[in-house]
Amino acid sequence: MATSPKPARPSSQPRRAAVIGGNRIPFARQNGAYARATNQDMLTAAIEGLVARHGLAGEQVGEVAAGAVLKHSRDFNLTRESVLGSSLSARTPAYDVQQACGTGLEAAILVGNKIALGQIDSGIAGGTDTASDAPIAVNEGLRETLLTLNRAKTPGQRAKALTHLRPGQLVPEIPRNVEPRTGLSMGEHMAQTAKQWGITREAQDEIAAASHQNLAAAYERGFFDDLVTPFLGQTRDQNLRADSTVEKLAKLTPVFGRGEGATMTAGNSTPLTDGASAVLLGSDEWAAEHGLPVLAHLVDAQTAAVDYVTGNEGLLMAPAYALPHLLERQGMKLQDFDLVEIHEAFAATVLTTLAAWESEEFCRDRLGLDAPIGVLDRSKLNVNGSSLAAGHPFAATGGRIVASLAKMLHEKGSGSRGLISICAAGGQGVMAILEAA
Amino acid sequence: MATQTLSESPSLAPLFVKAALTQRGRRGDLPATAWRREGVVVDRGHLLAYQRVCGFTGGDILPHTYPHVLGFPLQVALMADRSFPLPLPGLVHLENQITVHRRLTADDRLDVTVRAEGLRPHVKGRLVDLVTEVEVDGVRVWDGRSTYLRRGPGDVDASPGDQAPPLPEGPPAGVIRVPEGQGRAYAALSGDVNPIHLHALSAKAMGFPRAIAHGMWTAARTLAALEPRGNDASSSHLWFAKPVFLPSTVELVVDDESPVIVAGLRSVKDPAKPHLTLTLARP
Repeated sequence: MATSPKPARPSSQPRRAAVIGGNRIPFARQNGAYARATNQDMLTAAIEGLVARHGLAGEQVGEVAAGAVLKHSRDFNLTRESVLGSSLSARTPAYDVQQACGTGLEAAILVGNKIALGQIDSGIAGGTDTASDAPIAVNEGLRETLLTLNRAKTPGQRAKALTHLRPGQLVPEIPRNVEPRTGLSMGEHMAQTAKQWGITREAQDEIAAASHQNLAAAYERGFFDDLVTPFLGQTRDQNLRADSTVEKLAKLTPVFGRGEGATMTAGNSTPLTDGASAVLLGSDEWAAEHGLPVLAHLVDAQTAAVDYVTGNEGLLMAPAYALPHLLERQGMKLQDFDLVEIHEAFAATVLTTLAAWESEEFCRDRLGLDAPIGVLDRSKLNVNGSSLAAGHPFAATGGRIVASLAKMLHEKGSGSRGLISICAAGGQGVMAILEAA
Repeated sequence: MATQTLSESPSLAPLFVKAALTQRGRRGDLPATAWRREGVVVDRGHLLAYQRVCGFTGGDILPHTYPHVLGFPLQVALMADRSFPLPLPGLVHLENQITVHRRLTADDRLDVTVRAEGLRPHVKGRLVDLVTEVEVDGVRVWDGRSTYLRRGPGDVDASPGDQAPPLPEGPPAGVIRVPEGQGRAYAALSGDVNPIHLHALSAKAMGFPRAIAHGMWTAARTLAALEPRGNDASSSHLWFAKPVFLPSTVELVVDDESPVIVAGLRSVKDPAKPHLTLTLARP
């Protein structure tokens, strides 16, 4: 039996958690290459690739935190089950995280914080989601009848339970992509916010075309060679269109919003996607002991939430509210970052977030700032593409961005800093700052 | 040894009929012909269905037992051929040995060769080994040895061969619920449409009280519970004991404290009664 690693030593002095590496499987379009793959299959594959790349087979890491947004009830212990199916030591503890689209980044923050506090010396953060193998629940009436039948002890009770069966109960419950409190889809929410901020169709299509072109270029120069492991025959993100242009995107018909002002199309909105990602974090000492170079450190993180329920704020505007806290704590300006990753839930999400930071009125009235946060140099934004091109398997996006940004910063040089911004259902946002080691 | 190379996987139902119709009067030595398929491409849909039915994680890695189902049609072709000295109907799968030389994936193009060897006496009849060799680019990557028993006049002095180790004792590592349709599900994947697996009625016709699970399914299911340990270079030895009647619930027992893992399935009602014992060794 393998011996346990020596226990982490809790410290009153926090240390910075290191981002050592990442791995994901290529993302696939809904009902595409991974149509029959489960969340557990994909998360296991992402972890296995990470383990293989960093020589961690049989290793007991401090903790694995990951999650999925669309989750079957049988996957109550998804991450632990994936660990048991991986080559990691079966003595590696794990837990599930769920913060909608913020899940993956939140998981990295949680693992990073435990490392910072000295509670663990290493950990893996990840996420997985499938829009294809979605949980379909049986009709509630049927469910109740079946549960009654299951509880029945006598033939009479069983017969009685069966009399409750109705043909209409055959209609299943399919999960819908709507906010439970509003009944609006995320796209419909975003279309409202985009209209409110006067975001143009052209600006959105430019973001989308750049995303595809940048992601394709990154693949071409081998940027993802040590970040992506093929899965089920898929070697690149299935949604990626290297030949995407603003002209081609302009031909698409809007799918969200209504009438004249509708600007959001299938091209400038992320498609439903399947995939998984994982990130390896650790203390500098742990990385050194394992002969693994450190790419970056997790410097700080911030979550925020907005009250979107009655329409006071846009559903996906929370990251705009998180940033001032980070800037104040770090004594930084938005313009100080060398790279900025804003998750492209929709092209309009990126544009409204940037517009809000540029708006004197918004920064004053909503954020309580004396001056606007200001303009971001677009050449620093999503330089290797983002979710519009790669796709967005909800919980897998955070891990994708953390690993990519850590590598990009490492390439830029020691001390360079990057910002991550991810919006999430329920009016939430998660942000983090990385700094190259 | 001569080699008969097939361009595609033989269709099994006609072969089973042929084997049944030509079972009488078989005698003599084992055929000197090996049966081979070259450049076998793994059908990912079939692989995933196999992984699902057997409980492996879905993905690109070929499970420890997967090449067996690729070689099985060749085994049937070889045994159905008139040159094979034992009648195919009634052969009992007693043991199976597998060596995975390296991790195999759905991207590997496999050359699969099956031959028969080791016709030998057994206390309850005669044994024969069907040997399956899988190569990629001329390099051996997987070996299988399926040992079948033809019941008949036995030889009390026959060498008993390697005996199964005792099943681990104590509480089960898990329980496996085997549904009534398990035999049909595995038959659809493996092509092994032996009536004893398909339905209670067809099994009764063959003298069984109920349908029984395929031995190689119980083996695969047990190895799936040990995953990923059989995925990389490893060797297993399986001994099939009492059949698993359908439907039923069986207990999984595992002892992985020593270098050679011992695992198996046992009856819930009678833990002393093993259905399957396997050892799994890794270099």
